[in-house]
Amino acid sequence: MTTEISHISVQYSKTIGRGEQFGPGFNYPVFVARGKEGIMYVLCRGTEFRPEGVRVTVCTTDEEYVATFARGIDYQGPHEHNMEDGSLVWPTCIALDSQENLFISDEWLNRISSFSKDGDYLGKWEERSGTGDGELDRPSGMAFDADDNLYIVDCGNHRVQKFNKDGKFLMKFGTEGSGDGEFNMPWGITIDGNGDIFIADWRNDRIQKFSPDGTFLMKFGSSGSGEGQFDRPTGVAVDKDGVIYVSDWLNNRLQIFDAGGNFVGLKTGEAGISKWAKDKLDANAEMWDERERAQGLEREKDFWGPTGVTVDDDGRIFVPESARNRIQVYRSQSPTFAGPRL
Amino acid sequence: MPDQDISLIAHLMRRAGFSAPLEELQARAAKGYDATVDELLDPESQPPMERDIMMRYKADWLAQAGLEGQQEEWTFRMINSKRPLQEKIALFWHCVLVTGHAKCEYPKQQSMELDMFRTVGMGSFHELLKGLSKDPAMVFYLDNCMSHAGAINENWGRELLELFSLGVGMDGEFNYSEDDVKAAARAFTGWTVTNSIPRYPYGKYEAKFMYDPRDHDNDDKTFLGETGNFNGEDIVDIIVRQPATARFVARHLYNFFVADEPQVPAWKDSPPIDASAIKELEDEYFRSNYNITAMLRVLFKSDWFKAATFAKIKSPAETVVGTLKLVGDFKFPRPGLDMMTMNIRFMGQDLLNPPTVEGWHTGREWIDSGTLVERINFTADQVGNLNHSGVKNIINRVGSIGPVLTADQLIDACLENLGSYQLHQETRNQLVEMASGEGEIRSDAEGFPLQVATMLQSIVATTEYLFA
Repeated sequence: MTTEISHISVQYSKTIGRGEQFGPGFNYPVFVARGKEGIMYVLCRGTEFRPEGVRVTVCTTDEEYVATFARGIDYQGPHEHNMEDGSLVWPTCIALDSQENLFISDEWLNRISSFSKDGDYLGKWEERSGTGDGELDRPSGMAFDADDNLYIVDCGNHRVQKFNKDGKFLMKFGTEGSGDGEFNMPWGITIDGNGDIFIADWRNDRIQKFSPDGTFLMKFGSSGSGEGQFDRPTGVAVDKDGVIYVSDWLNNRLQIFDAGGNFVGLKTGEAGISKWAKDKLDANAEMWDERERAQGLEREKDFWGPTGVTVDDDGRIFVPESARNRIQVYRSQSPTFAGPRL
Repeated sequence: MPDQDISLIAHLMRRAGFSAPLEELQARAAKGYDATVDELLDPESQPPMERDIMMRYKADWLAQAGLEGQQEEWTFRMINSKRPLQEKIALFWHCVLVTGHAKCEYPKQQSMELDMFRTVGMGSFHELLKGLSKDPAMVFYLDNCMSHAGAINENWGRELLELFSLGVGMDGEFNYSEDDVKAAARAFTGWTVTNSIPRYPYGKYEAKFMYDPRDHDNDDKTFLGETGNFNGEDIVDIIVRQPATARFVARHLYNFFVADEPQVPAWKDSPPIDASAIKELEDEYFRSNYNITAMLRVLFKSDWFKAATFAKIKSPAETVVGTLKLVGDFKFPRPGLDMMTMNIRFMGQDLLNPPTVEGWHTGREWIDSGTLVERINFTADQVGNLNHSGVKNIINRVGSIGPVLTADQLIDACLENLGSYQLHQETRNQLVEMASGEGEIRSDAEGFPLQVATMLQSIVATTEYLFA
């Protein structure tokens, strides 16, 4: 008798991060971009009260701190913001081009800023608020295709727009609504190996898939907390095998689907003590004691505000939790024998 | 519709909400006063806040906001809630059943308390006191987690009686004794909270209420003349039956919603300014089985409420929120709200962080030379900002009177748009003189918007505008 196996198996790997305004750590992390050689760029949304927490934290997947760049704003009044180049107000997403330059969307400034992988400010697309072609209203998720064209989720206009890397408008698709190919405040985006586009259709509680030219291909998900249902999905990612991962924001979980959009499984969180967290606790030993006394410490494992999902070529899945200042890392695994240790 | 209908609705919305722009007042007046009261008293009939959108754009509102973030979120709710009385009642209870950020382990715990005020706070006072007794923010704030069988901490027991239910006294008599305080404290031993998870590395979590029977004093207690092996619920049961509690709730409702009363410490020896109104509310308290909504229905539909226009000094929260509603700002989350919220603090009301367990003194105590300047500067800045949609609406409405306006027409239109305010004759004369001094007032003139805005600024700087 044989036992049929599922080839989709996802296992918790580790936790990265801790809450910090400066240095090693994150402050309301909302997105992870994976660079080369183990580099991660973590976009910290921060708050208006502490603009220094609005930044990009650069670290490795082994939790080695590398650098911080970009900055929040100092503003002089409720209507007077520092619009200086390189400033971020409400950063939402990082997209990496083929040169590993970072493009960062800002849904308050309606601005796309770019930085080198070393954090040097490269420039910005001129602010283009509006509803016309090429204009933006609260840009959120972004992703480059294989030709270095940038797809931007234009949340407030309930559509997706495609630009070249210099910001020239190329095409758009989607309108406001709940029908096929329509959106309600979409958020996350990813492009799979075939160039197809997946959109987290946030307020419609579903994922939609499109061809590169914007033709509707499929959808899955509905409102709710059952398997395969969503409560405001924020991010979507597709691995090299076509497995789809969705950060299910207000349900506080990661859901996993096969390439056809069929529910496979979910993770509610298994966070542990990260390397940076251990450093912090070791430096403040009384916190270890407090943790031993604390009731309900198991809550710490759970996702709280999973705000995006990113997969890398090594089958790792990164889920930033804006409410917990950390990233839970999972790994896609093959269930079949991989050979003995050499 | 008659102007008096608009003016009465404006009065109602200042008290049962946070004021409203003229177009909303007109719509409500068309619906009718009683129907508007009924709608306000039934918040579930209106849509809730869109919390998903709030938290999407203000990431800290999801879980981690500190004091400023909590204040900001609440201010946003007060500005935008379609259930204005629900937010007003939350503010009311926050001013009475006080906890403070200065002694709060997890700031979100106070927002969770506000959620209780929004719901239970419009129901039975009996249930509200029981909920308050188990509220982790309160248990920690008033040290009941430090009160143990054989070693009581009287803080919660004392404030429960003095500031949260009976009051020190009424009609010249004390409402309870020191022995009653001790008995209440003993009855609440074992009511505690869980040990919390430390802030680092990932952030705080809310505490949970716990009852520890091993730490409860199981001996008999005598409380307000009744004897038994009382637990906390029994104390609340006895409290809500007291005439003093009816008086306490009635006077607080009257002071907050109707007219400025003497401050709480004076209530033992200072009779209510309208004894018959308080009696009506007390009677409804018992008739309705301690139901707050029932008491508010009596209050808002009474003649004495309708007659009490401009009998209260606006609180800082009412001032800031009412102004922002009027000018149409912050209808959607955006940066800068924290600076607006700071104005509430600068005017003397640091929401969620009151000066003492007694909360804020109200009425004329809101005003001093510093807070007065803050009020005038803030409101004048807002109504004078020609970019605000609400200000533009006002200018358009004023301009629609005709191509040429008299000074009186300009003033009356501005007063109506600000909420049917009334001016003393001396004040009015000064404004007429100011408006007349600029020559003919033409609505098609380039400077007309500024003329209107200047008049609005002049009105909000008057003594009359301090009142609600």
